[in-house]
Amino acid sequence: MPHDLNYYLATLAVYFLIYCVLTLGLNITFGMAGIFDFSYITFMAIGAYFAGVAVLPPSNVPGLQWILGLNLGFPVDLLIGALAAGVFGLLIGLVAIRRIRSDYLAMVLVAVWTITWSVTSTTIGLFNGQQGLIGVPQPFEAQLGVNPNDYVFVFIPIAAAALAILFAVAYCIERSPFGRALRATREDQDVAAAFGKRTVRLRLTAMVVGSVYAGVAGALTIEFLSAMSPNAWAIIETVIIFSALIVGGRGNVFGAVLGALLVRILIIEGTGLLPTLPDHPELIGATRNILIGLLVIVVLYFRPQGVIPERRRRYFESRKPAGDASAEVPKRG
Amino acid sequence: MAEPLLSVTGVVHAYGGVQAVNGCTFEVPEGVICGLIGPNGAGKTTLVDVVAGAIHLQQGTVRYAGTDIGGWHPDRLARAGLIRTFQLSREFRQLTVLENLLVAATGRIDESLVGALFRRRQIAVAERELVKEARGLLEIFGLDALRNDPAETLSGGQKRLLELARAVMAHPRLLLLDEPMAGINPALMGLLESHIRRLNSQGITFLMVEHNLGVVDRMCEPVVVMAEGKALAVGSMADHRSSDAVITAYLGRGTQA
Repeated sequence: MPHDLNYYLATLAVYFLIYCVLTLGLNITFGMAGIFDFSYITFMAIGAYFAGVAVLPPSNVPGLQWILGLNLGFPVDLLIGALAAGVFGLLIGLVAIRRIRSDYLAMVLVAVWTITWSVTSTTIGLFNGQQGLIGVPQPFEAQLGVNPNDYVFVFIPIAAAALAILFAVAYCIERSPFGRALRATREDQDVAAAFGKRTVRLRLTAMVVGSVYAGVAGALTIEFLSAMSPNAWAIIETVIIFSALIVGGRGNVFGAVLGALLVRILIIEGTGLLPTLPDHPELIGATRNILIGLLVIVVLYFRPQGVIPERRRRYFESRKPAGDASAEVPKRG
Repeated sequence: MAEPLLSVTGVVHAYGGVQAVNGCTFEVPEGVICGLIGPNGAGKTTLVDVVAGAIHLQQGTVRYAGTDIGGWHPDRLARAGLIRTFQLSREFRQLTVLENLLVAATGRIDESLVGALFRRRQIAVAERELVKEARGLLEIFGLDALRNDPAETLSGGQKRLLELARAVMAHPRLLLLDEPMAGINPALMGLLESHIRRLNSQGITFLMVEHNLGVVDRMCEPVVVMAEGKALAVGSMADHRSSDAVITAYLGRGTQA
């Protein structure tokens, strides 16, 4: 294959891996715990910015300013980004989740995005304002000394390893009593509490875990692209991640991965291949959003639970009289 | 004499200016099926909500199992064995019938995030026990064949049975039932009745809001009659039938002046 195509496909693979982290995280906050986290992309940005300022040296050029500048390397920057996103998620959750429920909570979380986005893009000294962080060194870039065009092949295993760990964690959560308790609070918080569940604690945990996922995705993004600016985390990005999860199947880790594939790769990259019309530069973006909207409508109409619905653990065999050893073979469905 | 399992003393609850419960006092001894009857608007459901911690105790005292539980949240009460059902069935709709029961077993399986990641073997062992217990209950309640179905697909009567089975799965010491017989057919009513009696004989104390006086007559002793937010009378249905105050407030006469 020509190098250009290899490079393009490898870059796509990285985008896909990172997007899986995003959908898997939202699957915990929204898919399992039912929290309408419309500030979700904010946590991606927090992760990216903090990973960025962890790697960058202290800023000393006028007009290019950011906090910290710790000169650290991979993977510490990624952990710092994940931690920062998790802490931010906890703080937001402590204020919002303890006090507010469902629909109003969604509005408060939109406001969280609005405030964070405005502050970040207008405060130069925080993360270099509207221009954002640029020139962030890539992991192992200096040590390996690879050609920038080949770097993507270095990054694929990094992103894949991060996704593998986070997928395993999400998989365990989905199949655990913890996940079941989350789903119960999603269905009815009052009834879950009436059966002894600490609903606020459960929802807060889900919010923090989801935020950490977003933070990791953000850290991977800035490590790969070397840059992050407010343009990259408009509110529509949250809506697109929600769309991906709804299409793929909320409450199911495989649904989250499928959603990332369908929406991030098929639609977003697919529309990128459309020919550009000289007089209509906005056509591709508009087509992309229309297609995502259509896909959501079609899926909700024909398959409201998503292409791969939430897994229901099934138990076969009727209960035999005591002493029968073959009873209780749970089958994973 | 031993302290009653539940004692409600001078409880007041007002919604804005409306005194739903207005100085209600009564006791539920351990081991009984206590009925709670009274006209609509007498404050029965509000009282159940206060006892279960779903709404805040504004005034008065509620003692359960020797402890003042005023201000306790529902989840803490539930973990202490005080479980309630709801006037309208509220199943976890998208969870399966079996999962609905498993969720009720709070405290008997590790539900932490750390456990989900690092104590999977212990959890699998505990889960197997819970599934066995839950399926035993489902079999008793005639729901085992539906165990893998989402709870939202059940009929109204099946949801009533699920509600009771799920409450039993929580190992209650005191079970508050808010109109368990509402909207179900006579055959199912008989079935629920026998289930409640059997559970009572196994040691669960019941406080049951019910409008079907035939059921209350057959099952409940003592019976608390509430009217205008107060416990008007406490005794057997036979007592109440000969009480002028109760007749005027609730039971009614054939011909009223």
